[in-house]
Amino acid sequence: NIPSMSTSDSEEDSYNERTALVASEIPSVPSYQQDPDQPQPADMEPRRRTVAPEPAAEPPSLDRSAVEREPVDLEEEEELPLKYGAKHVIMLFVPVTLCMVVVVATIKSVSFYTEKNGQQLIYTPFTEDTDTVGERLLNSVLNTIIMISVIVVMTIFLVVLYKYRCYKFIHGWLILSSLMMLFWFSFMYLGEVFKTYNLAMDYPTVAMIIWNFGVVGMICIHWKGPLQLQQAYLIAISALMALVFIKYLPEWSAWVILGAISVYDLVAVLCPKGPLRMLVETAQERNEPIFPALIYSSAMIWMVGMANPARHAEPTNQDTGTFCLISAYNPLALTMLRGVKLGLGDFIFYSVLVGKAAATGGDWNTTLACFVAILIGLCLTLLLLAIFKKALPALPISITFGLVFYFSTDNLVRPFMDNLAAHQFYI
Amino acid sequence: MNLERLPNEEKLTLCRKYYFGGFAFLPFLWLVNVVWFFKEAFVKPTYTEQLQIKTYVKRSGLGLLLWVAVLTTWITIFQHFRAEWGEVGDYLSFTIPLGIP
Repeated sequence: NIPSMSTSDSEEDSYNERTALVASEIPSVPSYQQDPDQPQPADMEPRRRTVAPEPAAEPPSLDRSAVEREPVDLEEEEELPLKYGAKHVIMLFVPVTLCMVVVVATIKSVSFYTEKNGQQLIYTPFTEDTDTVGERLLNSVLNTIIMISVIVVMTIFLVVLYKYRCYKFIHGWLILSSLMMLFWFSFMYLGEVFKTYNLAMDYPTVAMIIWNFGVVGMICIHWKGPLQLQQAYLIAISALMALVFIKYLPEWSAWVILGAISVYDLVAVLCPKGPLRMLVETAQERNEPIFPALIYSSAMIWMVGMANPARHAEPTNQDTGTFCLISAYNPLALTMLRGVKLGLGDFIFYSVLVGKAAATGGDWNTTLACFVAILIGLCLTLLLLAIFKKALPALPISITFGLVFYFSTDNLVRPFMDNLAAHQFYI
Repeated sequence: MNLERLPNEEKLTLCRKYYFGGFAFLPFLWLVNVVWFFKEAFVKPTYTEQLQIKTYVKRSGLGLLLWVAVLTTWITIFQHFRAEWGEVGDYLSFTIPLGIP
């Protein structure tokens, strides 16, 4: 029985965890060529979506060769970002897929997350248990408005905090929210899994499990830990958050919220006065390394090496593929890298979409269709990222495709397939 | 965090911190220590701090084995005797399975 208040904190945090993909600092090869012409900040430009540069071996060799040979073929230059692009797409597929798989597997097996017991988050106060369809629609829209305003307020608050350099506050907030995720939500999750499989479990063992999981998670995320473990924890956190959303958001509100959040993401990242864009630009101006919190990186890279152009000659300082899930708290963290950074918020909302499709969609066709839609959207977004090389929102394209696929599959493909099966007609 | 990038002294400090951290009822931390620093301690060519890292990894491994033994014993005892313990068993239980075995 979770009082809605306790989830509310995490809600806020998760909303802050939205992010867009940050444009990455495309590998130094092009910049070497343009060095005399471009001012320094340009190097840091692609932030939001950082497309992860390739794994270890390649960038150094590329960098060196770029430095060595002066006249570089224009074609080769253009090829490189695209080559990077393809690898990055694959590198992003894995964690996104893993997150979605975990969410779908849980939804299908643990009934707790699909049971609606009338409890709702305080952010969605209007009930959907109404008499008419019109009322229900109205309530969902109202819920969405409230939810989105909360998100907007939180994001603006975050930008203000960052502008006035209240780093300690942000850091503390981050720690608190990850504490909640790692301990409370995983405790709940574990309990429900045990109940589903009808296993007996005692408090001492559970305490040990949660304590270990939580503390090692805090260490890996906020301090230093092995990269894969950090990535795994971030995926786990995103999955847990998505599950909470799936449970506590009412049916129609969830879909409307997904749509509205994509629009918000688009606006916040692309408009000149958008909060997320301002956040990115401020960080770029300050040329600061941002705290790593909640950054999913495929490699560890800390900006510091990149900030100094002279260091470009030392390719070893630059990291390779990093793909950072950055939470809105720290889109800044991206700064450095080369890597694609995908925000945790993006993971969460993708998983919410696929999870809801699994929960309410009826059969696997719908779920798979949504899954494919999201991956296609992600590919397209990364393509755009490679073309525009600046921060781009990760949600709009994928979510749009996901929603379109969900509703069309549910209402068109499913009856079609059912009919075919009923008549034993195989195509 | 990429170990390759760190200078040796920092590796040693990290290993040591993980080792001491594990004493706070954190066998998982010891497991991470062992897996992460295994290559550093046993596979890489020798360097000054390697000996100390080796000791920490070995001790973490020992601690881990000890904890695994303790936990396995406790879990086996609990699962086996839970029903027989009556009230105490219920009090200790986080989840109680339904139905008749």
